[in-house]
Formats: sequence, C-alpha cells, structure tokens
Amino acid sequence: MKRPADPTVQFFADLGRRGHEPLLAKATGSVRIDVRDGEHTETWSVSVNDGDVSVGRRRSGAACVVRVDRSLFDRIVLGEENAIAAMLRGALQLEGNLGLLVAFQRLFPGPPKGRSKGRPAGFAQRRS
Amino acid sequence: MSDGLVKILDGNTFVVSDEGGDIEASISDPTGLFSFDTRFLSKWVLTVNGERLNPLSVDDLEYFETRFFLVPGTGTVYVDAKLSVIRQRAVDAGFHERVTIFNHQEDQVDLTVRVDADCDFADLFEVKDALRKKGSYTTRVERNRLILRYTRETFERATVISSTAPARVDEEGLTFDVSLEAHGEWSAELDVSVVLGAWQRATARRGRANGPKRSQPSMERDLEHWLASAPQLECDWDSLKATYRRSLVDLAALRFSPPITGGRSLPAAGLPWFMAIFGRDSIFTSLQALPFAPELASTTLLTLGKWQGTRLDDFRDEDPGRILHELRYGEMTAFEERPHSPYYGCADATPLYVVLLDEYERWTGDRKLVRELEYEARAALNWIDEYADLQGNGYVSYQRRNEKTGLENQCWKDSWDSISYRDGRLPGFPRATCELQGYAYDAKVRGARLARLVWKDPALADRLEREAAELKRRFNRDFWVEDDEYYALALDTDGSQVDALASNNGHLLWSGIVDKSKAKAVVRHLLGPRLFSGWGVRTLAIEEGRFNPIGYHVGTVWPFDNSFIAWGLRRYGFKDEAARIAAGILDAADFFEGRLPEAFGGYSRTLTKYPVQYPTACSPQAWSTGTPLLLLRTMLGLEPHGEHLVVDPALPVGIGHLELLDIPGRWGKVDAFGRGRVHVERSERLRPQLGAPARARSRRKR
Repeated sequence: MKRPADPTVQFFADLGRRGHEPLLAKATGSVRIDVRDGEHTETWSVSVNDGDVSVGRRRSGAACVVRVDRSLFDRIVLGEENAIAAMLRGALQLEGNLGLLVAFQRLFPGPPKGRSKGRPAGFAQRRS
Repeated sequence: MSDGLVKILDGNTFVVSDEGGDIEASISDPTGLFSFDTRFLSKWVLTVNGERLNPLSVDDLEYFETRFFLVPGTGTVYVDAKLSVIRQRAVDAGFHERVTIFNHQEDQVDLTVRVDADCDFADLFEVKDALRKKGSYTTRVERNRLILRYTRETFERATVISSTAPARVDEEGLTFDVSLEAHGEWSAELDVSVVLGAWQRATARRGRANGPKRSQPSMERDLEHWLASAPQLECDWDSLKATYRRSLVDLAALRFSPPITGGRSLPAAGLPWFMAIFGRDSIFTSLQALPFAPELASTTLLTLGKWQGTRLDDFRDEDPGRILHELRYGEMTAFEERPHSPYYGCADATPLYVVLLDEYERWTGDRKLVRELEYEARAALNWIDEYADLQGNGYVSYQRRNEKTGLENQCWKDSWDSISYRDGRLPGFPRATCELQGYAYDAKVRGARLARLVWKDPALADRLEREAAELKRRFNRDFWVEDDEYYALALDTDGSQVDALASNNGHLLWSGIVDKSKAKAVVRHLLGPRLFSGWGVRTLAIEEGRFNPIGYHVGTVWPFDNSFIAWGLRRYGFKDEAARIAAGILDAADFFEGRLPEAFGGYSRTLTKYPVQYPTACSPQAWSTGTPLLLLRTMLGLEPHGEHLVVDPALPVGIGHLELLDIPGRWGKVDAFGRGRVHVERSERLRPQLGAPARARSRRKR
C-alpha cells in the first residue's frame, strides 16, 4: 500500500467524514491531539458524543490531551507504532482521561505487516 | 508467611520484604516495592548504630498494613534488649512507614539510625527472567528527600523518599541522629512515593501527583463495608466459616482498580505478581463471585470491553472482537520487548465474556449493561466463527502468531505439556482443546438468549441456536472416545483425537455441550479412581503417559477447576457428586487455613492424608479464592429462575446446616438454607473433615 503523503492529516480527514463511529459508542468527551513538528504544533480536537464524532482544529480545553511528535503520530495512524506502548514509554504524553485515549486508540489500524489472519493454509473443511 | 516473606498491597502496588521489614533485592530476587509492574525500591534496610535489626514478631494487620517488632542485633540468642523498634508500614501509591524506637534504659542514649535505599527499576518480567537494564540511573539529594530516577529515552520512573523528621540525606539513604532520654521514644514518618513519568497524571488516580493518598481509616472502612455487604454465612462447621471469611478478605485484597474503571474494581489474577488485568482469570473469578459480589462482574465486563481487540496485530495476537489475555505497564511492554500492551493470546476469554454477561444478567437483571455491551458481545460472538476457527473445521483452536514472546498454549492449562495423547505424545498446532468448544457452545446459547430478550434480534438468536445445536452434534461425534466413554482432550491438526483423559470433561458439563446420554459416563470418570484423588479431580488422569501428581497441569488438583466441575455436575443433575467434590476441596481448604492454593498434589487422599501443596509464587490466587464461593453456590443449589432464586441444597452430611443470608440479585436479597444429607465416608480423620478417601459413596439420608 502506498504511504499517504501526510498520514496525520489524512487520518483526521477520514475520521471527520465518518460521522458515527461504533467503536466510540460508549465514549463521551473531547480528545485534543497536539502534534509537534519541530517548533511548530498543530492541533486537532475530536469531540465524541455517544459515538458521534466531529473533528475540529480549535485549541480548546479537553478531557484528554495528547502530545506527540509528528513523525510518531504518522506512524501510529499507519499502524506502524502502537499508541499504548508509546504512551507507556512516555513518547506519547497524555494528560487527563486515559479511558478516552483507550477508546480512541481503537481507531488506529494494526501493523501493515502484522495482519496475517491466523489461519494457516486450510486443509480441513468444515465437516458436517 | 510460609516463604518468610511479608507481602502487603493495594491494587497493583505491593511490598515484599523479609520478616524484619528489610528489602535487599537482586535482579532475580522477588522482593521490593512494586507498582505498575515496575520495582520502585530494591533496597530498604534499617540499621541502628550500624547494626541490623532482629525481628521478634510480625503483625499482619490488614492486607495493606503490617507491623514489625524488632530489636538490635542479629544473633540467635535473645539478650535483654535495651532498645526496641517498631516499623509500621502501609501500602498506598507507594508506602508509608513509621519507625518508632523505644529506649528501655535508665540512661540517655545517642543513636545513629540509618535507612539505606536503592532501586534497580526492574520490570516485573525482568525480575521473573533475570534480565539486564538498558537505561540510566540518577540520584538527587534534597532537604529531607532522596529522589531515585531511571530513564531510557522518553521512559521515566522515579522513587521519592521523604522524611518528616530531620535527616541527613546522601545518595545511598537517610541518616537520623537521635538522642533518646531514659525510657524515651523517637519516631519518624517515612514516605516512599512512586512516579510514573509523563502518564502519571492520567493514571494514578489516587497517586501523589493527583491528590492525597487514601487514608488508612478509609481503607479499613472499605474492607469493613466489603465484608458487611457480602452475604452472611451461618453454619455448624467452623472450618467453612473461616474459609468463607478468608475468601472474602482475600478477594478484597485482590480487587484492583485499573486506571480506566473510574474507581470501580475487578478481580486481579493473583497476589502479588499477577495484580493485573487478566481476561480469563477476571472472568472466572467474577463468575464464582456472582452470588456474593456481582459488581465485580460488571466492572470486569466493562473494562474488558474497553480493551476489546479491534485489529489484526500479530505481535499482540490481537483480532477484532478478541478479549485480552493480560495487560502490563512496565518497561519491557513499553518498548515492545513484551507484547502486553495488551496481549490477546488467549482462546477462552472471548467466549467466556459472553457467558459472564449472560450469567450476570440472570443474577442481577441488569439489562442496561447488556444493552450497553451489545456491540462488544456481538464482536465476541463474531470472533468465535470469524477468527478462532483456524482450521475451517467449525472448531475453536489456537496457534500463536507472535512466535517469539507469544503464548504457545492459549487455554487455561497453559503449560507446554498440558495437552497430550494417552501415550504422552504432544499434538501440533493449531490445537482445538475440548473445553474451548464447550465455551463456544455456551456462548452461542447464552448469546441467543440475550439477543432475543434484550437486543430484540430474533434472527441472530435463531442463527446462534442453530449453530450451537450443530456444534454440539459434531462435537459429540468427533471428540467422544468411544471405547472408554469420555471426551478427548483436543483434536489434533489432522482431526485425530488427542485422547488423554483430563479434568476438562468437567468443564464440558458446565458448558452444557455434553449429550445427556453421555453425561453418566463422564461423571463416572470424574469421580472415578483415575481422576478423583479424594480431595478433588486431577487435571490429568493417572495411567496417562504424562501423569505426574505434582505436574503443573498434568496431575495436580486445581481448586478452581473443581469448582466449575461441581457446577457442571449440578447442571446435569448430579447433586451428590457435586457435594463430594465440594467436601473434598473444602476439607483441603481447612489444611491451608482457608486459603486454597492455585494447585495441590494429585496424590491419592488415602496415601498422603493431607493435600500436598504445589509451590507457586502467587498466593492468594483469585480463582482459588473464588472457589469456596462457587462451591457454596453448588452445595446450596442456587440458580436464578426468572425473577426468583431457586435453592436446591445437597450438602455433605458433615455440614449439619448451612445458611447463606442476604444473597443479592434481581430478587433483592434472599436467604438460602440447607441441611446435610449426602453421605461421604469418614475415616482416619486428622481433624474434622467432610469428605474422605477412596470408597466414598453417596447415600440419601432422608
């Protein structure tokens, strides 16, 4: 799969178009992601209301604030890095509600090379 | 404690020390202060005038608090001590220790009191596997404060040691210059706080950075409240009362509030090394505790639902809909040297998740939660067909995709040799163990009930019921070992029966997948001499190639296993047999002072007269702690039926009467009464016991 030119921008654009996301159905609150790129920080605010998702760019207060380097977040939204592991080692910094981050990280894809559905070349057919 | 170590804990923070309260750990030595799967103190040694202290006694006040009585000198002969020392220590987001020194002399004395402190910041996995650290250490000395710090790239953990009494602080500890009057007394409050780096603000709800620690009185009140809100047990057999109380207190200690539960608790797997979320252990323990503390089940369901898998990730063995196996927070997990962020390699937790949700509704009537978790339950049901049928043969099987650090055996008997043929051969992968098919069957049947009743989806209900019936039909054909009349332990990759006789047959009864016509034969085996030791059902039958009475999953008796077997026996109407299992296990509990170990030896009861303990690192273990609770349920025959609780007791005669008062549920609170009537032979008793050896038989008394 071709790597998108700007994975982070692409991720939020896709998310904004989704409207409702069942994986966030039990989450309510806002997640602000501050993406650092050298001196420059870009902000995305994701509001979740029982699974209804809207994405904005205002730097407002949020129940859950994530600070992360651009290069790392690019890899996270491509599934090349795991958000929870990154949080545990302090590479992704979190302030506020961890539950929202746990809900939110379910939207990230799995690793591109780690998606073998564990079914080896199936020899056995369903017997009935 | 039996290993000479003293353990206290609160949630996933715990201290393991020697009987004097000192900690002197090496990389592989399991003492220290631990929190969030990291060691925060590896050295904590108290000396007076350069001398170590000698423990006179240890008081385990509560599971979170201990008091050590000490005198200077480590000699074996006790000389009239001129000084005595009390260390009172309580765990709470680190620990708090009050050191008090008494001068028993007529003269004033000057003392140098010293606490040496150090930390290796080992990950729990490093302690288990004795691995080396990759980051760097720094130490900072402040006024009355010592800060130990470890960093590796962005990873940071620190320990802050502070004192209320003025101290001379250096990089290796704190020194107090104490001048004690005749018969005087001196004390200092020492506080050890753990700092988890950048994510502490979000996680340590009760942690230092976030606000005040919980006070000791509030922890005591919490324990009192927990005990008072559980059903009350009245019974003429004192041992059972003691076991029941022990179970409740231990279950309180095992409660664990991970950061995302909003302060609610679920059962962790074991104390102290498994104070973490484990899908399987939390579910089994919640099932056992349902009639006593149903709130554990709802927190377990909500929490596991939040972490439910959503993607394919080979490193974590994650699939969409899969329920996690284990979640850890340490350095090796953070740097992906271990896959526990979380790790999903477990084939039973996902169907059992649906089983717990349904059983929870049957007890509590809480349909709101069932509605709330509809998405998760459907995803779990979908996982069974879509991701767990690795061979396309309609059976759940497992094979790890993380071949380096993933788990090879993803059923509860997770040791390398647990699944074998009668001749001892091991099957290949994927492995379809029999109990997994039972759980999948039960999940479909129960899922159908919830779909019809709560989700209002009769089409799904019909489909699940059809699939369940079909699975049962095929299972009873493919797994049934014709010549000896029991279910094979597993199917091998070529479809052949892995034919050892094992306790898993009891779980099949519990799941309901057993054909009625075959139940009698299965029960004959479970209570027969090859499987039943007199104390309980062995994990593997004697005469099997790999049988070993002290082999982890190949011959020992697991109390938790037996509690579900007893439930299975009740399900198929074998009340007396269920009572015999309860009698054996509860007798064993008496030998362990009410605290059942994870497993004990599978020797015949007539041979050893007492249950031989299997050495394990964790005690109490959650599902062993839950075992007496489930056995109370099976002995009393408690079963929700609509809005009512049916009571249908079958007690061993050793119990004259048994009352369980204020059982919570959809009926409000009700009481259950039972009288002993199932006769189990009693002879050669070491102490008053319920069940006894060999030729035990059942006989109706009235």
